[in-house]
Amino acid sequence: MAYPAPLQELIDLFEYLPEAERRESLINYADASKSCGPKEGEVFDLEDVRKDEECTDTVGVFLRAEEGDRAHFAIELGPKVQTLTKAMTAILCRSLNGAPMKEVLEVPADFVPRIIGAELVRLRSQTVYYVLSRMKTAVKMLLDRRRAAEGG
Amino acid sequence: MNTKISAYAHPEVLVDADWLLEHLNDPNVRVVESNEDLLLYDMGHIPGAVHIDWRRDLNDQTVRDYVGPEGFAALCERNGIGPETTVVFYGDKSNWWACYAFWVFQLFGHSNAKVLDGGRDKWEEEGRPLTREVVAYPAVTYPVPAERNDAAHRAYYQQALEHMQAGKKMVDVRSPKEFSGETTHMPEYPQEGVLRGGHIPGAKSCPWARAANTDKTFKTREELEAIYAGELGLGVEDDIVAYCRIGERSSHTWFVLKYLLGYKQVRNYDGSWTEWGNMVRSPIEKSF
Repeated sequence: MAYPAPLQELIDLFEYLPEAERRESLINYADASKSCGPKEGEVFDLEDVRKDEECTDTVGVFLRAEEGDRAHFAIELGPKVQTLTKAMTAILCRSLNGAPMKEVLEVPADFVPRIIGAELVRLRSQTVYYVLSRMKTAVKMLLDRRRAAEGG
Repeated sequence: MNTKISAYAHPEVLVDADWLLEHLNDPNVRVVESNEDLLLYDMGHIPGAVHIDWRRDLNDQTVRDYVGPEGFAALCERNGIGPETTVVFYGDKSNWWACYAFWVFQLFGHSNAKVLDGGRDKWEEEGRPLTREVVAYPAVTYPVPAERNDAAHRAYYQQALEHMQAGKKMVDVRSPKEFSGETTHMPEYPQEGVLRGGHIPGAKSCPWARAANTDKTFKTREELEAIYAGELGLGVEDDIVAYCRIGERSSHTWFVLKYLLGYKQVRNYDGSWTEWGNMVRSPIEKSF
């Protein structure tokens, strides 16, 4: 399956960055994750805030359906979340916001090493996959709720 | 030196944040950050600190082993560390990787080394200075050590096996469920490729975290003695092997036993459970 266009653009960009610049970009994205959380007064259709065993701190995923079925995410991270996971959060918020929810569900996770690079792919940095899985879970939960409501 | 630190068996290996702050511009001191979080150093570090990454810098890149004497000398040289430089290690995760890096430095006899009590978390918590500026130190000459002295500090699989067969003291520092065999990974971590759960027969469970306070500092000597001598029955003269899953948590315990309590024969079995739990015909015990 093809990636949503904004994500594909980021993959293309990261894949050809020299290592030092890739790290610098990841740091910038990690910094940007602070502004990925919900803004004051923002309303969401679904809020899924929890601390799972596979992540070092709490992650809150907030999802709102816009224009019918386009996803708008906000993600709040606890301070102990690893830096790579923070970076991936900002990357995913930027590249998946506005994508059709069905498309979000189908995003394959194989882009992750293409963005973070071989040097940073380690067993213990597997939580970079975690945020994407949480975003997909949120979409699925929202779609299930809708189906249930329609069925009821 | 604060009274808690001066009470340890080897107080010279531990410093507090005040000491470090006073020595940040000391040209004979090199501060080294070692973390699990791969980009944490880039997000901000103690001014003047260099970054030593356990896998990139300390591990051999093709053999599951550490760098050799030449690799170690080159690592020191490119970080401006000379044979007389005082190296102060700190890092995330209650200093797991700082203790691991300290331990690797001991394999090469760089004894002029210290750990920052409380590590990165306490430094940050107290609002002490952090910077993103990376200092490139002029290269210095570090004579290639004659050998890597594994025998004094490190146990290989065969040695760990003989240690177990001899009924000598062995401390499993993993979480209780990893020790019992109920799980093969620690909470919040992925499975790191272990086929079986359990522990080395005869090993006693004492999770590394028992040696640390909530602010990531080490517990007092008295508190540590109550755990390791009192509860585990370890004696200062005992031949002791500590292990975890890949050797980083057990570096923390190794540091506690050897330097804070002054136990004379302590080795870190860095192959740990990812080796023992996978080794064909290696005996294990389960306790759940």
